[in-house]
Amino acid sequence: MLFRLLVVCLSLVLSTYSFAQQTSIVKGSVVDSVSLKPLSGVTILGENTYAVTDDSGAFQLKSPKNSTVFEVSHLGYASAKFTLNANQSTPLVIKLKPSSTSLDEVSVQGKTSSRIEKESATVSVSVDEEFLHANRENSLMQTLRKIPGVSTMTIGSGQSKPTIRGLGFNRVSVVQNGIKHEAQQWGSDHGLEIDQYGIQDIRIIKGPASLMYGSDAIAGVVDIQPSKAPAINSFGGEVNVLGETNNDLLAVSAGVQGRKEKWYYRARLTYRDYADFKVPTDRINYENYVFELYDNDLRNTAGREANGSFSFGYVSDNFRSETFVSNVNAKNGFFANAHGLEVRSSTIDYDASNRDIDLPFHKVNHVKVTNNTTINLNEHTLHFDLGYQNNQREEHSEPVPHGYMPTPPNSRERVFTKNTYSLNAKDIFKVENHTLSAGINTELQNNNIGGWGFLIPAYDRYTAGAYLFDHFELTEDIHLQGGLRFDAGRVATQAHYDWYRSPRDNPDGSTSNVYLQRAENRTLDFGSFSGSVGVSYIRGNTTYKLNAGKSFRMPLAHELASDGVNYHMYRYERGNLDLDPEASYQLDAEVTHTAGRFNFGVSPFLNYFENYIYLNPTSSYVETLQVYEYTQAEVFRTGGEVTAGMQVSQDFRLDASAEYVYSRQTSGPKEGFTIPFSPPLIGMLSANYNLGNWSLFKDVNLNADLRVAAAQTDIVPPEEITAGYQMLNLAVMSKLNLFNNQNPTLLRVKLNNVFNTEYYDHTSFYRLIDVPEAGRNLSVSLTLPF
Amino acid sequence: MKRIALITLVFGSLFIASCSSDSDSVRDEERPTITVDYSAGFPQGCETLQRGETYTFTARVTDNLALASYSLDLHHNFDHHTHDDQAATCDLEPVKTAVNPLIYMENFSLDNRPTEYEIQIEVSIPEDIDTGDYHCAYSVTDETGWQSRTSIDIKITD
Repeated sequence: MLFRLLVVCLSLVLSTYSFAQQTSIVKGSVVDSVSLKPLSGVTILGENTYAVTDDSGAFQLKSPKNSTVFEVSHLGYASAKFTLNANQSTPLVIKLKPSSTSLDEVSVQGKTSSRIEKESATVSVSVDEEFLHANRENSLMQTLRKIPGVSTMTIGSGQSKPTIRGLGFNRVSVVQNGIKHEAQQWGSDHGLEIDQYGIQDIRIIKGPASLMYGSDAIAGVVDIQPSKAPAINSFGGEVNVLGETNNDLLAVSAGVQGRKEKWYYRARLTYRDYADFKVPTDRINYENYVFELYDNDLRNTAGREANGSFSFGYVSDNFRSETFVSNVNAKNGFFANAHGLEVRSSTIDYDASNRDIDLPFHKVNHVKVTNNTTINLNEHTLHFDLGYQNNQREEHSEPVPHGYMPTPPNSRERVFTKNTYSLNAKDIFKVENHTLSAGINTELQNNNIGGWGFLIPAYDRYTAGAYLFDHFELTEDIHLQGGLRFDAGRVATQAHYDWYRSPRDNPDGSTSNVYLQRAENRTLDFGSFSGSVGVSYIRGNTTYKLNAGKSFRMPLAHELASDGVNYHMYRYERGNLDLDPEASYQLDAEVTHTAGRFNFGVSPFLNYFENYIYLNPTSSYVETLQVYEYTQAEVFRTGGEVTAGMQVSQDFRLDASAEYVYSRQTSGPKEGFTIPFSPPLIGMLSANYNLGNWSLFKDVNLNADLRVAAAQTDIVPPEEITAGYQMLNLAVMSKLNLFNNQNPTLLRVKLNNVFNTEYYDHTSFYRLIDVPEAGRNLSVSLTLPF
Repeated sequence: MKRIALITLVFGSLFIASCSSDSDSVRDEERPTITVDYSAGFPQGCETLQRGETYTFTARVTDNLALASYSLDLHHNFDHHTHDDQAATCDLEPVKTAVNPLIYMENFSLDNRPTEYEIQIEVSIPEDIDTGDYHCAYSVTDETGWQSRTSIDIKITD
């Protein structure tokens, strides 16, 4: 631990490390970066020379040339590269990073995660800490937007939720530590409520994944993996400081982790505070209204977020258990002039400060307790995931009378209190060439409502599902996968009455004032089969995948039983108790190929929904507000992603990608139209240049990202056509040996929207009221490890 | 390599074909229009109405295909919570608390799928309602579900 050591990891940005060397023989050793155990049989390959480590992990390289690039590779570990330089005096210690993300993959498979990904028929993308660090934006999903096929629905500068290939809300499951994240994700003005710091690995599945993840995983999954156990007898941590100019953001996140022999712990605190974000315009035109903006501030979009988490775990050869407790607390303002769709004037002086959070705003608090336990028996690996989540959401707006509703007594428009209890169990075992997974997922959810604005009823929801999944290794390179699952669920809604009276005509011609009933006591049961079959074929540098799957989604309480004015959107929303579970059939294919310096991938899909549920604007009115009704229609979708990359030279890399989705409703009241929030054709170009070392700055990386979006002319009421745009982001990343040579400080300077382009994102919450996206933003991030 | 190129070509052309096989019927992508900005339109911005009188609220609506429904909403603006989309800015009275404000909310549906229509709604202003600033909001939908709205600041006096 005291000697100089170097961590070399394979990442999206190839890191080049400098070594020193005096003799013609370089000695060193290779260890596991987590356990620090020596690794034997590791190959170190360079030009005209190679070495293999012995039982103690040691190796000797003879007569290496200066600046020769060496590749270190070992089964089960990410391969790494390093460069030898002059003046190397101390023995090298190379830490190899295990590439498997969880215990079962190491013990059962003994394969690298990239190999496992290739053998899986599912189209998926893995994201590691380096990627998250290099691309960190204001919210987790904005960070992941760089992945082709993944985009976001943003709500102001600090919040967003995932969409995969144009489907979002409850059609993408977000899973953290094996437990499905449950907030009020159906709401369009709702963010994700997960601290994006401290996350090590994310696996994103593009395509139907109900088989393993249950209801809602119809478009895909964002699976935030449990963090790896720290190294034995280690203590470490980091402090990250971030500042941004566009919304005057200041964020601090600090984490520590440590481990004795078998017990370990982690803790993290994050605080973020930001002002109103700036848009590259000084006025906003919405319908016939004009809102002048003061100092380009989108007034009242400031916010703050305070998160804390703690976990402790125990790990031994055949047992690992970690308990994780987290709390996410946030308060965010909404654009004041037209919250949702209603135009408001107010006596609040919104321009007095760009940091205050006035009405309308929301407050959320999300408590999460999870436990992940893995037990390795001889033939079986057992996984248990337990979870409890408490989600408290309060939506505040100015108390304004509407229709027969008098002025409400306070600003608490809607309050949701949701408790979710989850239990998952899984057994993985091998029978000859079959790897079988059998498991159950159960969830109990209880949602309570409050406040003066009714939109969804209080409800209880129970779901349970059981599945069997087989991964069959036909030959080393041909893998077949298939599985079947059944889910059953029950939703019990509670009756709700208005707190004020409305006049209603009686049959005899008289009028009485009554408390209108908005929801009734109803119990609804659902059941659904899902399944998939797929094949992967690895042929040298080319991988082929084909997968067919059926996924499903149980209708949610708001889709079934809404009946009221949505003041956020200024419309009347009505649910439909006759909705069937959504069923989606999808065919996915993927071809990826690497040849020397080039890599190429294409992943098309075909998708058919029997009964896609969406909120349909009808032509009728209730109390002078347009009625939007939850409706089901057949939907056909297709599209995909194309990616290409080229390592032009050792220091220069180019990447390009494109994503496209085509959607058509083929039945129902909006036949011939697309589905709501369809993303446009998007292309991304990225250039990365490694400058090497420059003075104090080590390993300097320059990055330019160009995002080009076509116009979205394919719209459905009430959307508007969104023009195309081009946006350029620039970034510089570097390591700094400020205090500690072993753990260099990471510096990142990023300039988003370099030309301060005024553009609209078709899938942004603020698009409906013609608010452009954020203007130019300079951000500086420092990560100090210790 | 050849096989890779072939498969890439097949997938690529499949992909492109799927993108371009847009055999849509004609979709209605036009919103209806609504206006009171003509001589017969009523009320005009900042117009003053009197209690006890009966008025014919008049607006013109059009659509490219078929108009479906319309609505009229009269509500007080004593708290200055909302403003209109007309050219002129009206002088508002001081903020006050509502006691017995006028609430008028009615929805109407149109038969025979007209493409042009003149809304005419008779409204009697009761004698006993609060006087002051009011807001008059029209909205109209077409058959497809597109909506347009317009709103006018008015005053009700004795």
